[in-house]
Amino acid sequence: MATQAPARKWIGQSIPRVEDPRLLLGRGEYVTDLVLPGMVHAAILRSPLAHARIASIDASKARSLPGVLAVVTGREIKELTNPMPDFGPDPSKHTWWVLATDKVRYMGEPVAAVVATDRYIAEDACELIEVNYEPLPVVVDPVEAMKPGAPLVHEPLGTNVAYSRTFVFGDVERDFTEAEVVVRDHLRWHRSGAQPLETVGAVAQYNPATGMMTIYCNSVTFTFLLFLVANTLKIPSNKLNLIPCPAGGSFGSKFWAVRVPILAGMLAKLVGRPVKFVEDRIDNITTSDHHGSDRIYDVEMAAMRDGTLRSLRVKVVDDYGAYIQFGVGTHGNSLAQVVGPYKIKSVQYELYAVLTNKCQQGAYRGFGSEVTNWVVERMVDLVARELGMDPVEIRRKNFIQPHEFPYTIPTGNMYDSGNYPGVLEKALQLADYQGLREMQRRAREEGRYVGIGLISAQERSVFSSTEFWFWFDQPTGITSSPESVTLKMDPMGNITATLYSQAFWGQSPETMVAQVVAEEFDIDPSQVSVIYGGSAGGLPATGPGGSRFTIMVAGAIQGAARRIKEKMLKIASHKLEVAPEDLEFAEGKIRVRGTPERAMTLQEVAMLAYLFKLDLPPDIEESGLEADYTFDHPYTTMPAPDRKNLGVFYPFVGHACHIAAVEVDIETGQHTFLKYVAVHDAGTVVNPRSLNGQIIGGVAQGLGTAMYEQYVYSPDGQLLTGSYMDYLIPTAMEVPKVEIGHQETPSPFTPYGIKGAGEGGRMMTPAVVSAAIEDALAPFGVRVNEVPITPEKILRWIEEAQAPRP
Amino acid sequence: MKPAAFTYFAPSSLDQAVSLLADHAPEAKPLAGGQSLIPLINFRLAESRYLIDLNRISELSYIREADGTIAIGAMTRQFEAERSELVSRTIPLLTEALRFTGHPTIRHRGTVGGALAHADPAAELPAVAVALGAELVARGPAGTRTIPAGEFFLGPLSTALAPDELLVEVRIPQLPPRAGWAFLELSRRHGDFAIVGVAAVITLAPDGRVERASLALCGAGPKPVRASRAEAALAGASPSQERFREAGEIAAQEIDPDSDLHASAYYRRRVATVLVRRALAEAHRRATEGR
Repeated sequence: MATQAPARKWIGQSIPRVEDPRLLLGRGEYVTDLVLPGMVHAAILRSPLAHARIASIDASKARSLPGVLAVVTGREIKELTNPMPDFGPDPSKHTWWVLATDKVRYMGEPVAAVVATDRYIAEDACELIEVNYEPLPVVVDPVEAMKPGAPLVHEPLGTNVAYSRTFVFGDVERDFTEAEVVVRDHLRWHRSGAQPLETVGAVAQYNPATGMMTIYCNSVTFTFLLFLVANTLKIPSNKLNLIPCPAGGSFGSKFWAVRVPILAGMLAKLVGRPVKFVEDRIDNITTSDHHGSDRIYDVEMAAMRDGTLRSLRVKVVDDYGAYIQFGVGTHGNSLAQVVGPYKIKSVQYELYAVLTNKCQQGAYRGFGSEVTNWVVERMVDLVARELGMDPVEIRRKNFIQPHEFPYTIPTGNMYDSGNYPGVLEKALQLADYQGLREMQRRAREEGRYVGIGLISAQERSVFSSTEFWFWFDQPTGITSSPESVTLKMDPMGNITATLYSQAFWGQSPETMVAQVVAEEFDIDPSQVSVIYGGSAGGLPATGPGGSRFTIMVAGAIQGAARRIKEKMLKIASHKLEVAPEDLEFAEGKIRVRGTPERAMTLQEVAMLAYLFKLDLPPDIEESGLEADYTFDHPYTTMPAPDRKNLGVFYPFVGHACHIAAVEVDIETGQHTFLKYVAVHDAGTVVNPRSLNGQIIGGVAQGLGTAMYEQYVYSPDGQLLTGSYMDYLIPTAMEVPKVEIGHQETPSPFTPYGIKGAGEGGRMMTPAVVSAAIEDALAPFGVRVNEVPITPEKILRWIEEAQAPRP
Repeated sequence: MKPAAFTYFAPSSLDQAVSLLADHAPEAKPLAGGQSLIPLINFRLAESRYLIDLNRISELSYIREADGTIAIGAMTRQFEAERSELVSRTIPLLTEALRFTGHPTIRHRGTVGGALAHADPAAELPAVAVALGAELVARGPAGTRTIPAGEFFLGPLSTALAPDELLVEVRIPQLPPRAGWAFLELSRRHGDFAIVGVAAVITLAPDGRVERASLALCGAGPKPVRASRAEAALAGASPSQERFREAGEIAAQEIDPDSDLHASAYYRRRVATVLVRRALAEAHRRATEGR
């Protein structure tokens, strides 16, 4: 357990964001800014059809266009590469290549790649490639795809159900038998995606003399898994150097976006010149490999008349699209907090992972848990409605109580700590809940439809790799997800921290590192410089994802700082002739406890460490002040062999209560936000302002999922929302002002008690918006069971609710 | 997302532009604010071998009063028209409608003429031009001609302009005394093209009856739709919520909306009923209470 320092100087401060100056001055050095001598440009030809056999490709006209260096089609791809890295159920039967080989499986799937002297010519050449497609029957509805005789996305699988299994945790049968109330609903969460401002891009350079492949890239974390990328590129694992460039947003979608760097690498090796490939917006929307969850639920919740929640039965069909690169990890994620903040005793989870002719799923802020939060909160509200309970009362009644932590939920995951009633009270006060209810009552008297939504839900953080494979009995998978840092104090006493993953994708890793290092050494954050190491000389890193980065990097910093500080204390102890335990780091010095005037500056000690070997104590073998540290997940356990218990895999669990008030125009279905309150408990807060930024951004994305954004595929598999004309992202005009409150319940298991907080906004907003709209339409008895909620759906729901029932 | 190759001209006078267009039509496209054309050519949804950039032609940028109308040069930025004191005093319906045209950044580049000549059926300005009985001035090799707004818009992205003709000016009649106006629009997000938009003007007779009503809708068919039957039903009537509701229902029968991703034709008709009623009520309020 981490010891909690009584008072902290830097952690908890809203210091100015370290990343801002270079971004605001246009010196971000993004991958598109990178120009290498002799660099050429790639573009891809995307399939116009959702499902078709590629009968022939004639690229001769494209190849003869002046300025074109190479055209690669699926015909050549097996020579140039191995299949893509794939963590799916059975990659030999749903094999994924960097370009389509025998057939295309979704609209937008890359069919050919062109390298030319500029991007314009590359796109001209794409238009000259003649592909002869033999159309195949298309399957876009996952329920249809499950039926016998449905067109097969991958023939070797023999089915479109890539994976199915029913898990039972606890005594579901008994809990349902004893229940006094059972509510049921059919819930639909449509597909959306992350939409980073910057798309995925890479610049690759291959040196045939050394065999070294260098790829500058704004995607891909998991540096300890890059041997898989090397394998796809058919190069030795120690000949790949992936150099991270800052990313203009990811929100999960650059988590493991390997297609772009692999394509650039393959082409650079082929043409012998550096190749830049940056997705354009259509590439990113149609073939990012990172669409979000697309789920159809049938859910039952069992409860007692007094409002006690007993059990949850979930049947979920998830439309994964044409490939399934992460297996069903997004449902592993769901199981981390499937009972929400409530003492629900048992869970049945029946999952069907279905393949269809759509872009495959990847990661998007929440990684599946945001859907579960929505489902659980929708069902709790349904129980409350059935029992005539206020949404506040049913939650209060069922909360896991502060004294019950650490608390193990039926799936086996552990919640480390929390104070859910405390968060709820803060939110009720901040929102003036009673006042809102009064305002709602008056509005109804005036014939206006005002609704108030209130939800309380979890934000798990720091995944264990087990969530990606505990679905299968055999073989077991990896159990590591480390994060590393190198700290170096130079002879002037300044510190450089090296990070080893795609660490910067729009959040504030450098600010956080500067604050934590400053805290460890009691120096000013401005004395800390942060750089990013390439993978070839780098340490194992997993990168941001699953709200893990702050906790994991803080752990690595503490480890490395401890090593440096021990050495510095030895030196200072030797010099000052005081026992090391009588020394302390304070105000940029090492000083004698109780006699602060007896001290050495850090610079004096660092000078000795580097330049005065003969002044060092004899037991110091090496000069210099540098330490690596690889921090592993501080608390995970293995799943039980029978999978009745999945072990601890996502244990640092934040919590939030959101309250929203909306007014609905029942003639048009349009809405107006009157109030939006978000109170979060992310444990110890490192930087309140950047945390608020995470919450507001997450609320905006959550609002997009709740009311605006959807990847719509037509019945023949055409993606109809292929640009931002049709894929609607909420703007500043649509996002309500978010009033934020914090409660800090430190985790007993993490550095400083921090909990992850990168996904919380999006994990809450769809649920609270659904609840608020439903409450506004309560006079009609409308039930909100689908997102996005559009004005037209609102009118339809009102009509359906008013229609005479058979 | 790069355009195919094209030849680019940047004339500095209207005469040069007209002659370049005559030389290269029909493969040439005039480039005004570029807010629609540039995305179209980058998506390679439209291809033109010649682009004639009008942005250096300062003589096409003006707003002036002429014979009871307001004449706006085709290259006048939407933002200038929106901010124009003359416009807000004489044709405030245009000011109000412009606030729905994209976002401020778009309106700083987008032009009044560009929005009219592009003729997107969901765009605001064509509906305003139709509601107010504007005239559009075109210039080609044969000289200048004037086209009433009601005859200018032919269908989606299609106008009465010949391939070698440039839209150079729009003339909008000033609102008469005792007139009230309203522009209401429903879109998924602020700044999007309309799901349905309504431009309404009510002119009252001295006795308070409706002397004349003008109603035009965008997002309601292949081109801006004038709701003539609803207008006729209002003419001479005593204004009331009931009359406005009836007018809304009549107007909804006059439009011919499509279904798309954002709204079905059914929904468009339904909200058109509501918007027409609300727009008429607001126009009437302004006609009686002043602005």
